[in-house]
Amino acid sequence: MDKSEVLRYLGHKGQQLSRGLDLEIDEMINKCRDISKPKYVYKIYNIKKHPDGVEFLGSSLYLFGKSVINHLKGADKCAIFAATLGADIDREIAVMQKTDITRALILDAAASALIEEVCDTAQNEIAGLAKREGRKITSRYSPGYGDLSLDYQQKILNMLDAQRKIGLTASTNNILLPRKSVTALIGFI
Amino acid sequence: MKVLEHLKNNFLLFDGAMGTMLQNEGLRDGELPEVLNIEKPGIVSKIHRQYVLAGADVVTANTFGANSLKFKNQKYTVKEVILSGIKCAKESGAKYVAQDIGPTGALLEPMGTLTFEEAYDLYKEQVLIGKEAGVDLFIIETISDLYEAKAAILAAKENSGLPVFCTMTFEKDGRTFCGVDAVSAAVTLSSLGVDALGVNCSLGPKEILPVVETLAKYSKVPLIVQANAGLPKDLGGKTVYEITPEEYTNEIKKMADLGVRVFGGCCGTTPEFIKSMKNYLDTVKPKEIAPPGVSFATSGTKAVCLDGRTIVVGERLNPTGKKKLKEALVSNNMDYVAREAIEQAQHGADILDVNAGLPDIDEPKLLQKVIKEVQSVVNLPLQIDSSDPSAIEAAVRFYNGRPIINSVNGKKESMEKILPIVKKYGTLVVALTLDEGGIPKKAEERLNIAKKIIDEAEKYGISKEDIIVDALVLTVSAQQEEVLETLRAVKLIKEHLKVKTILGISNVSFGLPNRELINKTFLAAALGAGLDMAIINPMSPGMMGTISAYKVLSNEDKDAAGFIKKFASEEKREVKVVDNENTSLFDIIVQGRKDESAQKVSKMLDEGKDPLDIIENEFVGALNFVGEKFEKGEIFLPQLMQSAQAVKNAFVVISDFYQSRGVKREQKGKILLATVKGDIHDIGKNIVKMMLENYGYEVFDLGKDVDKSLIIETIKKENITLAGLSALMTTTVKSMKETIDEIRKENLPCKVMVGGAVLNEDYARFVGADYYAKDAQGAVQIAREFFKK
Repeated sequence: MDKSEVLRYLGHKGQQLSRGLDLEIDEMINKCRDISKPKYVYKIYNIKKHPDGVEFLGSSLYLFGKSVINHLKGADKCAIFAATLGADIDREIAVMQKTDITRALILDAAASALIEEVCDTAQNEIAGLAKREGRKITSRYSPGYGDLSLDYQQKILNMLDAQRKIGLTASTNNILLPRKSVTALIGFI
Repeated sequence: MKVLEHLKNNFLLFDGAMGTMLQNEGLRDGELPEVLNIEKPGIVSKIHRQYVLAGADVVTANTFGANSLKFKNQKYTVKEVILSGIKCAKESGAKYVAQDIGPTGALLEPMGTLTFEEAYDLYKEQVLIGKEAGVDLFIIETISDLYEAKAAILAAKENSGLPVFCTMTFEKDGRTFCGVDAVSAAVTLSSLGVDALGVNCSLGPKEILPVVETLAKYSKVPLIVQANAGLPKDLGGKTVYEITPEEYTNEIKKMADLGVRVFGGCCGTTPEFIKSMKNYLDTVKPKEIAPPGVSFATSGTKAVCLDGRTIVVGERLNPTGKKKLKEALVSNNMDYVAREAIEQAQHGADILDVNAGLPDIDEPKLLQKVIKEVQSVVNLPLQIDSSDPSAIEAAVRFYNGRPIINSVNGKKESMEKILPIVKKYGTLVVALTLDEGGIPKKAEERLNIAKKIIDEAEKYGISKEDIIVDALVLTVSAQQEEVLETLRAVKLIKEHLKVKTILGISNVSFGLPNRELINKTFLAAALGAGLDMAIINPMSPGMMGTISAYKVLSNEDKDAAGFIKKFASEEKREVKVVDNENTSLFDIIVQGRKDESAQKVSKMLDEGKDPLDIIENEFVGALNFVGEKFEKGEIFLPQLMQSAQAVKNAFVVISDFYQSRGVKREQKGKILLATVKGDIHDIGKNIVKMMLENYGYEVFDLGKDVDKSLIIETIKKENITLAGLSALMTTTVKSMKETIDEIRKENLPCKVMVGGAVLNEDYARFVGADYYAKDAQGAVQIAREFFKK
């Protein structure tokens, strides 16, 4: 895990770190790796663009919004993926908040960095599939970005059977649970 | 023949996958499969029929996700899809129709936001519809949270007299997504009274075998296996499963040998799989599984075996004689409760006793709250300790896992009230050897009471391995002559009744100096008399040392491995004496030396320094200094927090100082903090809380996912004039606005500050807040300005 990413999540801007804090960050990064159970799942669909949104062929998903059309410009296929670090890391962060909140904050930042890393892994795998077709991929795009509604969270999880496959759910307020989780779209161009 | 009757002497064969079959029939991704019960009933019935023809005894109606949460804003109601699903299943001509009940789709508290009662209500609705439609049984399946399983099982049992089967889904590491292991699952589901339990989904039959072996060891009811057709493989975006019906059946043979009695298939299995299994099962006879013969207490993710080992029950979550805990319970300071639980766990407790009995308090409500808090931070099983049967029942129902009830006694009334609860929820129970005549003097009489309780329990179907007898410790300073009589009773009870025993050791030493010495001497004697479970303070090295030593002497700690590990490292560890003689408190705080500040402050108090002066000048001065550095960007958040934690740790010393003198420290002002309804991100709010408390404000922390009504109620009750609300998601900013609107509508003289990742000045205006705090330091500034007026 890239330590500089963890520091970035902690709002670090070049301030001098004491040795104690530096070690604590290393320790929390290791702990995060030990406890997390990264998992991801994805599916690839042919898509069709409409003036008001994007249709995922062979499924019941239709994403309304300008921003998603824009993001998938030039794409006729799209991967949907979901990734999570699992429930154990959430629990550990919650427990640590009671005993040492600074460490909890660092662990939380480490987990944020790790889930991004997991997403990168998934993205590379998807890029590999695209490459076989001689194509490139877009960056990741998630519900909540631009005008893409967060209300799609549940639908995306359903499409991927994500609760069964990786234990990922969404609350009625569209918060992904376990918390260190991501859903995203990646276009094939 | 009813399904349970069938199960007595026969295998019971379920069907295979529905989802896979529906996909082959054109179900589109993202569509709710249950909708097809109404729109294409012919297809659904056809699939059921294929399974019946293949030899399935039971077909599973296509109702897995038919709950009101998933069917919110859908074309059809839950009732419509369930009724039509059951109709399709019945039309297949199957011997039995099971109503399929899957997870709600939302995570339960504490990891999620769905409450236990909400989950229960969702399941209850499904069960009532199924019962009306005439299903033969319920299969609760693909569950990964034992707590959710409990909600579903109770809903099914309490609202129908029908059989309930339950299966969970495990990963390769032998745990479910929520961290449940096979022992906890077998024990907890058995104790809740399911008619059969087992595994489904997730893995193929080969990979699931170790889990099935464990279930077979600890289940008290017949086992179910409904595995996937091997592990899924992705073939160009299409999922396929790797094994053939014959390979599947080969694995099933091993499971039938283990005593599995109910078979079927999950993802990727087809009628061919069922047919192949049927052909095999027709040639063999089902085997009985041996009863486990040992007892476990469980939490949601951990099972603790109570037989054949010495058990430490942590006593610290009982307010009797504990001033600080009492105060924490009265003032709703759940952080204190959580820390006590965590520390006991870290010090080696196996089980924690939990008691919330205080005068003039709603004990059922408080006990539930304490249990929720404790279960969210430790995974140890709990011993629910109360003299109020209604508090016990509320707690046991709400508890995640299989608890111990503390306690029942030999009084008729106690047995009549407590034993039905023990039976209904399948708990363990501590039996006190006292009755209408009080605590008998003689050991023999206590033995008789124990026997009476055990006999009475048997009438309810409670087996004696689930009863732990407490022969009652008397206080040596009051009843010196009878202290050893308790140990004699322990011996007699072990010898004659062959049950486990427990004692609350610390009672012995009330009123004496050097209580620990008396306690650990008595503990050693009690262990020698055959005591199984000791209720003690796990934070006491002397008591825990006695336990460790006894485990070596009694041949429980083989080769003294645990003992050597514990004490060899302890001897090596030097006692760290911090030399901060020449460092000022100011520097200690500024440098964030959070482990040194308490020591320094206690030294300063010893030297006669005024505590108020320490707070007002030393703490506030140093905090202002680091606060400014933070604002200028010279330090970043973890550094600010280390300083804040240094103050927080030192504050404990000052609070103790005040408390020991019976003085109440004057607070600077009351502030309410809450993460709004629907939002569960609370680390930011907790940082703000620590900082505000450091400045001497009294913080009413309502936690996360807080209903606006509770916020209003607290503002009124405590006359709060400043409330801080936090939200992290755009979707929950809405509930922030609703909360503030409500505060305004009620015309409360309370200002509101808001903060959280997605918030900014614009959002703050949008929600109608009075102040926007961009970070924790900002919240401190707002509070200081506010209370200056």
